[in-house]
Amino acid sequence: MLKNKTLLVVFRLVLGGLFVYAGVVKVLDPLDFAQNIRNYRLVGQSLSFIAAVVLPWLEILAGVALAAGIRKRASALFISGLLVFFILLTLVTIARGLDVDCGCFGALSRKSGFGVVLEDLVMLFMGLCLLFAPGRRD
Amino acid sequence: MADDALSETRKIVRQVLVIGALSVLLAAAVHFPLVKRFARGEFRENFLSQEDYPGIRLITIQEAEDLWAVGEAVVFDARLERPFREGHVPRARNLPATGSRQKIPPDILELQRERTLVVYCEGGDCQSSLALAKRLHDEGFTDIRVMTGGWEEWKKAGLPVEAGDAEK
Repeated sequence: MLKNKTLLVVFRLVLGGLFVYAGVVKVLDPLDFAQNIRNYRLVGQSLSFIAAVVLPWLEILAGVALAAGIRKRASALFISGLLVFFILLTLVTIARGLDVDCGCFGALSRKSGFGVVLEDLVMLFMGLCLLFAPGRRD
Repeated sequence: MADDALSETRKIVRQVLVIGALSVLLAAAVHFPLVKRFARGEFRENFLSQEDYPGIRLITIQEAEDLWAVGEAVVFDARLERPFREGHVPRARNLPATGSRQKIPPDILELQRERTLVVYCEGGDCQSSLALAKRLHDEGFTDIRVMTGGWEEWKKAGLPVEAGDAEK
């Protein structure tokens, strides 16, 4: 369990900031993101649309909450859950041999691959440190 | 102690649900016009917004063949190089779609922006032709046709095919 308070604050700001950024770029172009989701060929057209409209707001709200220190544990849990989902999704995509853009950061996205899994694992580490950090439970 | 942990877990779950519910509300409010278009039946086949991409049209294999036969359209194959080498629409250029940052070769950028461009990919629900079409649209091309059905349908229709190296 990580106890260094400064490091935990840095984790909060970095992870929260990344999620806010990822959410905002997707909110700006929901149809592009819907196409990204569709390209994974796991869900149909309608579900891709709904996910593309809702998911970025989940990222923004959880990111803002984490960075601002509001509902820290809930937002860390939310973000960690999303990251576990992203990691599984990327691994399944690699296993299926699909050549798709990860859709993670809008125009800054790159091909879904082990690099993306590694980034997500680093973020998941931060998320779990925050989730299980000692201190006041709010 | 166990009660504490349980109530703490409950609290966190409740907060997670609140974040979820707020997200749905915000999404519905901010994207209301888009959601309305979706409810009216738009975006059920593809996520191409005619408002944003007026220069892109979806065409059938027959329409594509007509354009190809006249020889005035430039045909682009958005598949990867290997399947392209195994077979493609004659005179097609290979331009594998690699996302929104894709570089378009300079000689293509020299083409007149009004020139008719036909793009295709594997077929079925392949999306790379649409991605390439959007990329070309961003470069200012105004007449881009996406051949739905793609390479699979072209082959199935018994239309001419060509194999060999990519003309890059």
